[in-house]
Amino acid sequence: MAPALCAICKTERANIKRPKNHARVCKGCFLTLFEEEVHHTIVSSNLFYPGERVAIGASGGKDSTVLASVLKTLNERYNYGLELVLLSIDEGIKGYRDDSLETVKRNAVQYDMPLKIVGYDELYGWTMDQVVETIGKKGNCTYCGVFRRQALDRGAKMLDIKHVVTGHNADDVAETILMNLLRGDMGRLARSTNIVTGDDSSDVKRSKPLKYAYEKEIVMYAYHKKLDYFSTECIYSPEAFRGTARALIKQLERIRPSAILDILRSGEDMARLVPGESASSCGCKGKSKPPAATAAEDDGGIGGCGSNGAASGNEMAAMEKQLRENEAAEELEVDVSKLSLAGRAAESETDGAVPLKTNKNSKPVTRQTLGNCKRCGYMSSQEVCQACMLLEGLNKNRAQIQI
Amino acid sequence: MASTSPPSTSSPAAMSSTTTTATTATAKPCIKCRSNPGTLDSRGQLVCHICFQKFISQKCIKQIGLLNKDVRSSSSQSLSAYHLSQKNSGPPQASSRRYLLGLSLGASSAALLELLNENVEFQLSKGRNAPFELEVVHVSCAAGAGADGGGGGGGLEDDGKGRTTTEREKVEEVVLKRLGGRYPRFEFRVVYLEEVVGLETVDWEGLGLEDFAGSSSTSTTTKAEKLQQLFDNLPSTTSRTDLLRLFTRHLLIAEARKSHCHALLLGSSTTALAELTLSETAKGRGFSLPWQINDGVLGVPSFSPSSSPSPPSSPADAGKKTKMEETGMLVYHPLRDALRKELVTFTKLAGQPTPIAELLPETDSFTTTAAVVSHKDLSIDEVMVRYFAEVEENYPSIVANVARTTGKLMRLFGGAGVADGDGDEEGGGKAVGEDGSEDNDEERLCGLCSMPLDVLGDERWKGELGEDSYRDALVVDKGAKRMKQRICYGCERSIRG
Ligand SMILES: [Zn+2]
Ligand SMILES: [Zn+2]
Ligand SMILES: [Zn+2]
Ligand SMILES: [Zn+2]
Repeated sequence: MAPALCAICKTERANIKRPKNHARVCKGCFLTLFEEEVHHTIVSSNLFYPGERVAIGASGGKDSTVLASVLKTLNERYNYGLELVLLSIDEGIKGYRDDSLETVKRNAVQYDMPLKIVGYDELYGWTMDQVVETIGKKGNCTYCGVFRRQALDRGAKMLDIKHVVTGHNADDVAETILMNLLRGDMGRLARSTNIVTGDDSSDVKRSKPLKYAYEKEIVMYAYHKKLDYFSTECIYSPEAFRGTARALIKQLERIRPSAILDILRSGEDMARLVPGESASSCGCKGKSKPPAATAAEDDGGIGGCGSNGAASGNEMAAMEKQLRENEAAEELEVDVSKLSLAGRAAESETDGAVPLKTNKNSKPVTRQTLGNCKRCGYMSSQEVCQACMLLEGLNKNRAQIQI
Repeated sequence: MASTSPPSTSSPAAMSSTTTTATTATAKPCIKCRSNPGTLDSRGQLVCHICFQKFISQKCIKQIGLLNKDVRSSSSQSLSAYHLSQKNSGPPQASSRRYLLGLSLGASSAALLELLNENVEFQLSKGRNAPFELEVVHVSCAAGAGADGGGGGGGLEDDGKGRTTTEREKVEEVVLKRLGGRYPRFEFRVVYLEEVVGLETVDWEGLGLEDFAGSSSTSTTTKAEKLQQLFDNLPSTTSRTDLLRLFTRHLLIAEARKSHCHALLLGSSTTALAELTLSETAKGRGFSLPWQINDGVLGVPSFSPSSSPSPPSSPADAGKKTKMEETGMLVYHPLRDALRKELVTFTKLAGQPTPIAELLPETDSFTTTAAVVSHKDLSIDEVMVRYFAEVEENYPSIVANVARTTGKLMRLFGGAGVADGDGDEEGGGKAVGEDGSEDNDEERLCGLCSMPLDVLGDERWKGELGEDSYRDALVVDKGAKRMKQRICYGCERSIRG
């Protein structure tokens, strides 16, 4: 059989089958298509303004490396006028970050972009290795995730940059949508679909220009562009809901390649159906409302570690338990004299989300009202932000050990 | 759950697939009645068979009560007098309610059949009138594979492809006869899937299937052939499974309308609704989930073919050519609060003299895949069924929570807000009005799945992803542009791939 020709240029050999829609194209056309699609996303969402300083959350992994490469290309091709900076977080995990940070350093040279590396020790007084030493391997993904989310914003602040872009791809977003469906958390589902998280009222705007890009195409792009990236899986496994959603996504994609995009479409539409949720995905309408999403809800997604902050080993089991308690409490509520605390929590629930205890000493989350952390001033839906809570625990632990 | 211990069960054979609880179980009494031995683990509680059946029954009765009320109020009678609690003022007037039950012959809808019968018998035993009349319709997907004469009592060929399908029909016949004998009060009927061909609730023209429209009078054989052809041309197993589900519902609604039923009852369990939530999300139909998951009135479109035979000149014209009229049908899921595994257990316990499960076909060979769907690969629907079977085992409350929270989403029309007086959607509504205000006063339903079209969502998506000129350059599909106006995103995906 004669080799098929590229469906776009009709001259080159079609040696690539696009994972997204199985179109057969040549290498050159694939690279261009990929870039143009990201460009379309950027333009249609009004992601940047000329002269804007933008920090790219860079882990050295494929997603953020491709993001940096594509943004550089598009910035030059379309004169975005952006000042791009690489921002990396050093969690302080020996052997894990060393290599990836070396990659980022090379990227900085390759793309001619300034690089800022912020360490956990610098930000929190703890490296991840020290955290693991203190609390053990179990549950440390929580710390890693919570710390990382803030780390990017804090790092950006140090650089006086107000916009951080992350390498979240379509698979990540689809995964988050399914995960929140499973958790019954419609509010978070709605917020997670937005390309921009955080708005005018938050200090640092976050966005994901690769929102519609398939992970497989990102890998393909990196490969054909011969990008220098560090490939490693997160050494900590994701918690149950995300893990299960991820497995589903992979299976669905095999059955119907468009499924990932279709889930995004569903998620964006459903976001408009959540009572009291901001309907816009462009983030331009939400001025009178709470931010589209708090950065604190959005995992960093730059290290491949998709933790979302469950303290217990099995979030599903914890939620199952909580739900059963709520059910039992609801039954009890008929008897007014026996109004239980859990029952009241369930009653006050507005968007159907189950108040999940993320920590023994934290109260169940009921309503997302946004304020600032009493201790560090970071945007938080609780009096004390998650990071400060975790730090408090850690520091207590350290004090005890020292005694 | 689903772990039962059958020491004193009246139907040991039916319990074979369930596992026994710990040996200590026999010693402990049922947590509810505190007298019978606890033999079943129901949502973490040890209960007896009687209390378990009561538990399921109550969940169903609660929904039926809501439905009965809904039917009363929608028939625009004075509401004040009607409270359906049993202690209320004497026997009500002759029952005017008429429901249609969609019976798949799986455990859930069979459980619903049994529960509805119980409900009627209970009322009658109290000297009241039957609360409703019930018609039971099974949509048979048996025909269609190959040229085996198809529907009804057609010739039974025992060779090649034809055999399996007619086997299936034979099984259906036997099972329905048994059920008819068990529930003589209700009327049982079979409808063949090919009867969907020509049904005016589907916009055949909009689907590019002009020869399906108006062919309602053609022979069953021709219809079966047409349908098979359509299924053969669908891009994937997921698409075939999807259309099978949609066509089944079209037929049930058509039957319900034909016999002037007030509502269509479906046996969907909590688990089924959770599956539906995720599979429809994965198929791009998130927008219509609030319609699909909740109980209430669903729009039923009726498409009359355009008289002009000339093809539409531009895509924009296409949507206006066919006339669509809309009526409504109440659709209820009375078992929405019961898990599938609970209903499976229920069918093994409930029913006199033998448990209803023994009247049903063997599940593996029967309920899984219809003849029109190939067996080659899994569909998205099947992936979700398998997934939730697993989740249900260990996290039943999580399953229940999925359906419950999804049900809280608002129902919107055309992407513009109509729900709950919430100002948030105002901007969206305006955006629709700005262009093509004519289209706006007409609430269009999808030509395939009958769910409201999401005009705003379609526009936004187009904006976000671009015109998809690359795909248009790759996919040679003349009908594609025309279709866009008439069917929803998910249906377009099913048809085009
Ligand atoms: Zn080419
Ligand atoms: Zn803080
Ligand atoms: Zn009992
Ligand atoms: Zn549709």
